[in-house]
Amino acid sequence: MKVAIAQIAPHLGDVDKNLKLHVDLVEKAKKNEADLLVFPELSLTGYTLQDFVPDVALKPDQASVFDRLKQLSENISLVVGFVEEKDKGLFFNSAAFLTDGKIQHIHRKVFLPTYGMFEELKFFGQGKNFQTFPSPFGKTGLMICYDFLHYGAGYLLFAGGAEVVIVLSAAPGRGITGEEGWETSHMWELMGESLSRFSTSFVIYANRVGFEDGKSFAGGSFIYNPGGKLMAKAPYGEEEFLVAEINLDEIRTFRKKWPYKRDEKPEIILEALKRIVRKYED
Amino acid sequence: MKINTSFVEKILTLFIKEELAKFHFQLGIVGISGGLDSTVCAFLASKALGPGNVIGFILPYGDTFGRDIDALEVVRTLGIRSEIINIAPMVDAYYNEHPTDNKILIGNKMARERMSILYDFSAREKALILGTSNKTELLLGYGTIHGDMACAINPLGDLYKTQIRELGQHLGVPDKIRKKEPTAGLWEGQTDEEELGLTYEEVDRLLYQMVDKRKTADEAIAMGFKKEMVKRVVLLLKNSEFKRKLPPIAKLSERTVGHDFLFPYDREQ
Repeated sequence: MKVAIAQIAPHLGDVDKNLKLHVDLVEKAKKNEADLLVFPELSLTGYTLQDFVPDVALKPDQASVFDRLKQLSENISLVVGFVEEKDKGLFFNSAAFLTDGKIQHIHRKVFLPTYGMFEELKFFGQGKNFQTFPSPFGKTGLMICYDFLHYGAGYLLFAGGAEVVIVLSAAPGRGITGEEGWETSHMWELMGESLSRFSTSFVIYANRVGFEDGKSFAGGSFIYNPGGKLMAKAPYGEEEFLVAEINLDEIRTFRKKWPYKRDEKPEIILEALKRIVRKYED
Repeated sequence: MKINTSFVEKILTLFIKEELAKFHFQLGIVGISGGLDSTVCAFLASKALGPGNVIGFILPYGDTFGRDIDALEVVRTLGIRSEIINIAPMVDAYYNEHPTDNKILIGNKMARERMSILYDFSAREKALILGTSNKTELLLGYGTIHGDMACAINPLGDLYKTQIRELGQHLGVPDKIRKKEPTAGLWEGQTDEEELGLTYEEVDRLLYQMVDKRKTADEAIAMGFKKEMVKRVVLLLKNSEFKRKLPPIAKLSERTVGHDFLFPYDREQ
């Protein structure tokens, strides 16, 4: 199967312009015979929205933007990031998986970073679930940016049977050293390598680039195979249209060799978690 | 504290290019003093926008200090357009009416006179002003508020002075400028390090620990930094906060600028 990642710099607060960018890149992906095209977090709106959030929010079952995206997904699967208005006045940082002309799954970001330079909890409601869903590539799970840095989230997708994990990200680069790239980029790659290897799944990470209010989004999108091997990687800080061939049979290959999935005991984890949570102090 | 200079060059030139494009500007303006920071800024601007899209402003007070000769050399080396305006008539006109011997007052006035000219030309030429305040200066408050600190975007504000020296070397800034004693040019013979009572080497290492690595003053002292220096830097950090913020607005209404009317700076038009 062929995967494409659109490492783009969305236009902040301009859904129409971003839709056009998506349409053009879907065309490009189709020309490249890609089966899946993944966009970054909030790809239809840009990231630093603040009080723009209500103005750019979309209801997936009503918005014409989604009619167009559904149409485009008739012969390619798409993953896009957007502001979702779930119920009137309730906004979420969401990701949609579209395939066969319909929305197959929506993930609402659970872990909303609100520390240091981030203020997402001020503007978004929190998602409540990590759920896998069937896709043309096997059981698939979505995460958005900071979700991915919580290994409980990756575990839930693993326990839910994910074979392909897709992460949409708008991660700014932080920390410059003597090395090429950002200090923080290493953290994402480390999680990509670990999760892919220990869940024996593909991990596809699409990060954005460009600048918003001085934040430099880091890029460095990547794909790891179920053995923890880096299959493709985009440069840091620059736009890129990354296309890579992956072999879904590798899931079986690695699970035969490393039976982490077979030997996993979610019921023990669940009971242990219950005991831990019960001991929490008020 | 080491930086990968080619990576930093790449990010900063992309930043300059993208910010100007977002606001539909083609031209960038840099005030060039002949010192390191403004030279590095001009080099980056010229790489990002092309020499034809950068205007270097040389704004001496009279024919001071000979620094302007270096500024002229920067302009010539890069092949950018330049404007030379002597600020003495404006500054003198004011101090003839309100005389003072206070060199700091005069230095600040000159910095604001330069700012005023850059903003005037920013509007005339439809050009964005690129700031040159570095991280060391911003943290210590070693800059004139509404003077050299004023700009539209600042590519250098997250690099310490010593890191800018590294970047300058990578960009091919002439030795003469890189090795020059840093000066705000407030008066003849003035040097930053003498006025601050600190060397950039030491203070940058300390600031890096306290700001980037979040060490407390006590932890910094335990690491071997001199107690007097740490105390002095803590005081400078504290007393300069007002230079790094917009002034607070007394909140009265339901929705107030700066409090809960929150929009990004990079709002695309």
